[in-house]
This record gives sequence, structure tokens and C-alpha cells, in this order.
Amino acid sequence: MEPRQAPLKELWSHLRETPRRFKESAFRSGPPVTDRARSEFVFNNLFLHIHPVRVHRWSLRWRTTWGLGVAVTAAFLLTLITGVLLMLYYKPYPDVAYQSIKDIHYVVPTGRFIRNIHRWAANLMVVTVFLHMARVFYTGAYRYPREFNWLVGLGLLVLTLGLSFTGYLLPWDQLAYWAITIGANIAQSPRELTDALGITPYFDPGGWMKTLLLGGPEVGDESLIRFYVLHVAVLPLALVVLMGVHFWRIRKDGGLARPEDADALLGPPRDLYPVFTDAPTKTYHLAAIVRGRSPAVNRGPENTIPSMPHLFYAECAVFMLTVFLTVLAAIFWNAPLKEIANPAVPENPAKAPWYFLGVQELVSHSAFMGGAGIPLIVIVGLGLIPFLDRETEGTGRWFGGPGGQRLVLVSAVFGLLSVIAIEAFAIQFGWLRQWFPDIPQLIITFVNPGTLLVVVYAIFSLGIVHRYRSARAGAVALFTCFLCGFVVLTIIGVHFRGPNWGFYWSPADWPKH
Amino acid sequence: METKNKHLLLWSSLGVVVVLLAAALEENVLRQWRRLQAEVAASDGPFSTGIRQIVATTTGTIDRCTTCHVGMDPAERLAGLHRLARPHPPVPHDLGQFGCTVCHGGQGRATESADAHGDVPFWPEPMIPVRFVEAGCGTCHTQVGVPTLERLAQGQAVLERSDCLSCHRLDGRGGTIRPAGVGGMEGPDLSVVGRRGFAPDWYGVHRQRARENKDPVWRDCIPDLSPDERQLLEEYLHTRVGTPSVVAGQALFHSLGCRGCHKVSGVGGTEGPDLTSIGLRDPARLDFTNVPGPHTLASWLSAHTRDPARIVPGSKMPKFFLSDEQVESLTYYLLSLRRDPSKKRAEPIDRTLVERMQRREFATDGETLFAAFCSGCHGPQGEGRRFPGQPPAPAVGNPDFLAVADNAFLLATIRDGRPGRRMPAFSDAEVGLQPEEINSIVEFLRRRTPPQPLHSERRWVTADAARGQALFERWCAGCHGKDGSGPEAPALNHPNLLKTASDDFLVETIRRGRRGTNMEGFALPSLNHPVLPDQDIEAIVAYIRTWETAK
Repeated sequence: MEPRQAPLKELWSHLRETPRRFKESAFRSGPPVTDRARSEFVFNNLFLHIHPVRVHRWSLRWRTTWGLGVAVTAAFLLTLITGVLLMLYYKPYPDVAYQSIKDIHYVVPTGRFIRNIHRWAANLMVVTVFLHMARVFYTGAYRYPREFNWLVGLGLLVLTLGLSFTGYLLPWDQLAYWAITIGANIAQSPRELTDALGITPYFDPGGWMKTLLLGGPEVGDESLIRFYVLHVAVLPLALVVLMGVHFWRIRKDGGLARPEDADALLGPPRDLYPVFTDAPTKTYHLAAIVRGRSPAVNRGPENTIPSMPHLFYAECAVFMLTVFLTVLAAIFWNAPLKEIANPAVPENPAKAPWYFLGVQELVSHSAFMGGAGIPLIVIVGLGLIPFLDRETEGTGRWFGGPGGQRLVLVSAVFGLLSVIAIEAFAIQFGWLRQWFPDIPQLIITFVNPGTLLVVVYAIFSLGIVHRYRSARAGAVALFTCFLCGFVVLTIIGVHFRGPNWGFYWSPADWPKH
Repeated sequence: METKNKHLLLWSSLGVVVVLLAAALEENVLRQWRRLQAEVAASDGPFSTGIRQIVATTTGTIDRCTTCHVGMDPAERLAGLHRLARPHPPVPHDLGQFGCTVCHGGQGRATESADAHGDVPFWPEPMIPVRFVEAGCGTCHTQVGVPTLERLAQGQAVLERSDCLSCHRLDGRGGTIRPAGVGGMEGPDLSVVGRRGFAPDWYGVHRQRARENKDPVWRDCIPDLSPDERQLLEEYLHTRVGTPSVVAGQALFHSLGCRGCHKVSGVGGTEGPDLTSIGLRDPARLDFTNVPGPHTLASWLSAHTRDPARIVPGSKMPKFFLSDEQVESLTYYLLSLRRDPSKKRAEPIDRTLVERMQRREFATDGETLFAAFCSGCHGPQGEGRRFPGQPPAPAVGNPDFLAVADNAFLLATIRDGRPGRRMPAFSDAEVGLQPEEINSIVEFLRRRTPPQPLHSERRWVTADAARGQALFERWCAGCHGKDGSGPEAPALNHPNLLKTASDDFLVETIRRGRRGTNMEGFALPSLNHPVLPDQDIEAIVAYIRTWETAK
């Protein structure tokens, strides 16, 4: 035992050593200078360990994911940070809310910039969530063993839309007020069916949903506080939890999907050295013996590279690109803010947020099918995909599976043509109500342009299933068709619909009164 | 692949840094108000810079106008060299309590000029142009007892004639008899005397002082005024509330009969839109297709006042062929109609009087009432008017009409109107006139021509209606229509007419006609028709009476 130093001297030396000791206590694996140290660094860090220690080179190709998942996460983090900042000034009470947004815009230091970032990041998040879903679908990445994560992803999609929708009301301007009124009416759409059946007084799920959403018969102060709580607490928490599950499942399901022959396709690594020769000790400890589908199980780590720094470079690059695009938009375009909400002056046309305008277009044909029936069919259909398609051909490849790129192209053409044809017909010639004014509403509920479109798409896809003898081919056809339908209906809703939901080639043609 | 990622990371991050720097620059250096404050400081000397605001407790607004209009800040005293350093002209209100936007409109919370002045999309209350500045008073105030323009001018003429402006100041004029006196004025400033009120025996006091003859200034201070002249003068003084231009426009509004079709503050016809809040209309929601000039509410209102159907296609409002001055004056008044009941504002006494105490914005003498409610259709003298595409309004001031129409008929007609036609029921329920006000109108009509009843009974005609039908269709249906619905003339089949018109009225109207209108006297010789004997005329009346039972 060393002789003890003088107490004061000891204290002094401890104080001097404190920075080093602090660093050692925080980062136990030492400086990440060797691959081994980096691996341990990732493994021992709470925030990094959601990453695998090593990652397959296939996953790092830009073409594999286009970084869309990371972009969604980046956009979410941006809204989270800016959202918390906005909460410091925002007051969730009607009229006061509007004034507080004005204050954020005009006097809060950088408030305008921060609100713009929040708005555009939220929009970017919705867009990238859709693109991310399309990527996962077209690369067949939802298949075994990732079915559950596809469902989690669907949940995240719904939560993202919910977050965006609840945030829409908070500025309490005309845009917000009437968009949410429309949204709430969409929630009430089952009433069309119960009305037609004459059971609304006894069983009114539409009315309940609307009341539950708004806290009253129309948008008011109760709705605002409700939307606020959902927007800043409930939904973000749910989203974070579900994101955690989503990320965790990516690791547990064996990383990103890649073709069976990914190694062969990639060829031997050029500038990377073999793992085991350079690093004599085993790279990772626990990961190697835990049963599961981490990249290293049942095969060697060839063609994998350390996450740190390669994966992190890729992630940071996508993250910063997302941030860059968002702040760029934020400095050039202000988030919209119209007149203060005025229940006495309806907007005409009153439009829901843009991502619901496809639904609103369907609602204009039939409230029940457009607002409840078809969205439900779509959600359930999306959820069923991984359980119906149990094939393996083409997993991890863009447009993999029978039919390939050509099938997607054919489906896209078919999907676009049929939605445009049906909408053009309905716009030009009207529908049953115009021809037979006394027709029962129930018939229109089930026979309208929206349902017709769904039926056409379904028949087309069943034909594809039959022709290619493949559920995957049918799924590709159906997904492509619905995607085209969604895009076209959304564009019609955003651009071509004017006062009283009439058709106009351009907003410049809208009547003045 | 890794190089690509590194490049992407590098350039994105640099891009973010550049954007953030730009945002910081914009926030801390480039803001418009910072530049303007620097300009003011350069010319007027230093003051504490930063965003300023007036938290107006009385109106519940927050106005940041003083951020740029530094001199208007109640707490700021600058030399006033720069245009933004000038103080606010003196007004009766405390700027610190009322703020700016309650009077001037605009967006108080904004800190950029276009946004603050409201010349931006999505701001429904842009600033009131400076040339209409008094219109802002109408946000809270109204004017009580405003007569017709003619009466107002007569009142002013009495004032000028009596040399009141020698001692008193009024709307920026007068008060110079003894420049050495306090402020160059001997008597008090009368510009807001209507709001402040004046002693009921002011005339006696003035006369008394003149007789005492102690102070030479008081000698001959006021001439002899007849009671009528005094009433006109007092009426005029009561309208001196600090908004002479609005009052002039309002007096014109009351001279043109606009209230016959339009409600203001709950009183007026229902044929046209309620104008109580017309000055708050959002210009973004108006159609400017045929409106010349800038897209402001003022230019829309003046273009519409000039030619309604051109601005609003299909408008039933007739064109009144107004002069430019009249259009401008009416626009001024319309802009001042800024009452928004949904906003909880402090309510001044004039507003309380009008909305809760049954005081009127118009003077309640018969002349003003007739001008304000009737003259739009019946003409300023009751000579009758006809607008394109509409049935003519009868000449109710015509002596021939007044000679045969009794007071009960006039009263009932004004009270109950002609539902289904343009003539509304002027009673309290619809237009909002009180019985005594309707009486005043009748008395005004009666001022020259007393009724000349011939029969004591109201119904005395006992003739053959069948014969009357042939005569009616031969001589009357051309204008009054086969069924008497009168596309070109008053409707004779209207139940309210048949209920209240006496047989005298009908018979004598047909016999004598109405001079100055298309209605000829059928008992008088004419090139257009033979002279009808009395029994023929009575037969026609009998036929007209059949519609009463038929309905």
C-alpha cells in the first residue's frame, strides 16, 4: 500500500484529475480510435446502442432507403424542439391563441423562424412518412420477419397524421378553424349510413366520434384545449414510444431487408479491411450469443462495417440535409396565418389539411364511404399486406417480385387513368343524385365514384394476382393504384376544387362572391 | 459511399450554418423598425430603442404602432424633426389607454409597416385612410339627432349670421375678436359642444349679458333669434361632437332617404342590407372587378354608392346620380359605421343613448323623418319617383293625393306598409319607428294640404261591379294591370290599400287624377279618354272593392 499523501495534496490531485476521471466514468470504453473501441463505444452508449455495432454495406447504399426513415426522424426532432420553444409563448385559448401566434410572428425573438421551421418540418414529416412507407413496400421489406414492424409503421403513420391534424387548429385562424370543422365532419361521416338506416337517434358512432374529437358540437374552446393536449403531450409521447419500438424491431428483425445475394451483388469490399484479422479479440460480446437475428448470427461479419463512423456519417448526413431543407424553407416562406377564426364567416371552400383533401374529395361523393369506409379499407388492406404476401422473391430489391418495375408502371398507368376517368366523369356529368333526385341516399353511399374506384382497383389487382399467380404482384398493383388515387385525389382537392366544392381549372376562376 | 456521405454532411451543415446566420441577421439587423428607429434617432437624438407597445386597458388591444411612430408614444418627447418623431395631434382620448388601432384600424400587433397598416392579405381591418380619419370614431361612438343636410345648413347659417364665430371657435374656425384674450378666444370652443352639452338657457344668458353692457365684447353679442332659428341653431350645435365630416355625411344619408331601405343601429328598412357594420367589411371579400382605383373599402363604397348595379350585378339599389362631393360624403359616413357588437368595447354615452334609451341617430322632426325614411322612393318633396325596372312610388306629397287621403289612411299605410311590395311596415316591429314618429311624418305631409272629406262614411259606393270591370279593363288595366297588381302603377289589389282607403279616396283620385303624375283625372276633359260620369267611376271603385273579398 502506497503511503498516503498529505490530505490536502491528495484533494488537490483529485481535483486535477477530475476532468479525466469524469471522461472515463462517462465513456468507459476509452477513446473510439480502434474498431473495437468504437464498437464498445456504440454498445455502451444508451443513445447509440439502438444501432447495431456493425452494419451491412447493403444498408448504407443510398439507393436502399434514400435515408427516408432518418429524414422522418429528423423532421420529428425538429418539430419536437421547435414545438417546445413555441409552447413557451403559445396560449391555448380561443382568440388569445391567435394573438399569441401574432406575437410569436412579430415580436418573439426568432419566433417567426421557429414557427416556420415547425410548420415546414411537420409537412416534411408527413411527406417523408408516406415516401418511407412506399419505400418499405416496394422493396418488400415488410415481409417475414418484419411484418410486425410494418404494423408499427402504420401506427406511426396514423400518429403522424394525428399530430399534424391536431397542430392545425392551434393558430386559431380561419384556415385552422374551418379545416378542423371539415375534419370533424369527416369523423362524423358514419352518420350518413346511420341516417340512411334511420338509427341515428339510437346508435350514432359518427356523432360520438365528432363529440369526442371536439368536446362539443362544434369547434370551440373545449376543442382547442383538447387538440393542444393531444398535440403537445399525448400524441408525441405515443409517437416516441412507438418510434422506439420501431427502431428496436429493426435491430431485432435483422437490420434492413436485403436480397439473399446482397453479398454477391456488392462484391468484395474495396477499401475495408477484414474484421477478424485486424481486430484479434472478438468484436462484440453479448450480441454474439444472444439468440436472434442480429447481423452476425449464423454468418460471419464479412461485408459488414462498423456503425461508427460509417452508419453515423450516413445518418448525420441525412439529418443535416433534412435540417438544411427545413430551415431553408423556413427563411423563405412564412407559415400561413389567415384572419382570426370567425364561426360566422365560413371559408368557401373550407378545406381540410392537404393530406386529408383526397379523403375530403371522396367525402364529397359520399360522407360515409369517403370518410370512414374507404380509409378503413385502405388501413386494413395495408395491415394485411405482409400476412397475405408470404413470398420471398425480390425482398430487399426495389420493385422486387413477379412483374418487377414493369408491373409497377402498368399499375401506375392504370391507377392514374381510372381515377382521372372516374373523377372527370363525375365532374362532367354529375352522379346519381343529379340524374335521379329522389334516389335513396343508401344507394349513393355504396355506389359512388369513390367506391367505384376501389372496386376497379380491386378487380384489377385480383386480375394481376391471377395472372402472375402471386400475392406480391397483386399487392404491388393495388398499392400502386391506391398511391396514384391518393395523389390524384389530393391534387384535385388542393388545386381544382373551389367554392361549394365545385370544379375549377384554377383558383383564379373562382367566382368573386 | 462514405465520401459521398461525408460530403453531404459537410455541405448540408454548412448550408444550415449559412441559413442560421441569415436568420440571425434578419432578426437582429434587418428588421424594418430597427432601420426606422435609427433614422429617427439620427435626426431627433437618442431615445431608448426596441419594440414599443401600448397595452390599452380601455379597449383591450395591444398596439405596437409606436415602435415606428416613436413620437406618438405618450411617454416620448422628441423634437419632431423626423416625420415619425412627431407627436399625435391633441384628441379627447388618452392614447395610453385607448391605443391606436381602435380609432385608426390596422394591425396593432404587427411590427412591419405593410402588416401594421393592414395592407396585406388576411387582415380584415386595414387602416382607415387619413382623409377619412373621423370615421374611426364610429368604432365606439355614434351621433345623435342628426337632421337633414338642409336643416343642418340652415342651422349653420343661423350661427354664421349671428356672428357666433367672433367669440367662439368651431371646427377649427373663428374666435378671433380679441386676439389678446386667452388663446385668442373669448367664448369656449364649440367643436365638441354637442358631446359636452350646453345650458338650456344659453340664449337668455347671452341676451342678458348683452343688455348689461358692462364689457364691450358682449355688446350686440347675439341678435334676436326666432324660436325656429334657435331650434335650428341648437340642433346644429347638438351635432357638433368633433366629427363634422361624418355628421355631414350622416345628414346627407338622412336627406336621401337611405334609411327607407337600410337599417343602421336597428332602425331602417329591410329591403337593403343592414349597414350598421358596413365600415368593417373585409375588402378581401369584396368584388373589385368594376371598381376603379385601389382595392380599399373606401373606393369600393364610393364606387358602389355612385352606381350600385355596376359593382354588385343584380343589385336592386337604384342609381341616384350623386355628385362627387355627395359620394365622398356618403362614403365618409359609411366608413364610420364600424359597430361590431361581438367586440366588448367601452360604450360611450351616445351609443348607450341610441342602443338602450331609444334616442335616435336622426332628428325626429317630420321633415327629417320624411327625408330619411321616405324620400328615397317618394322623392324629396314627395313628388313620386320611378326607378328602372321597378313600379313607381306614389307621389305622396301631391296636393291631389293629400286632399283625398285622410290621416288614418296615411298613418295606417306608413305603419303597415305594403307587404310584398317595396313599401315596408314602418312600425316598431319592422323598420323601428315609434307611433309618434309616424305621426310626425303624417303631420309633415299635411303641412300644406288639409284633408277635404266629402262623405262622412268611409264606404258609401254601391255600384255595379260587373260594369266596373269592363270600364277598369278599358281605362285602368293599362297601367294598373288587369288584376290591379300594378306593374306600372300603385297596386290597387293590395289588401292593406283596400282595407284603409276610403271610398272618397278612390273615387276622388279617379275623378281628379294626380296632377304631375301619369294618373289623369277621369272626370276632367282629356285627349286620352272620355269624361267618365260619376256612376262609371263608382262602378270602377266597386269593381276594385271586389278584390278585397276575393283575396
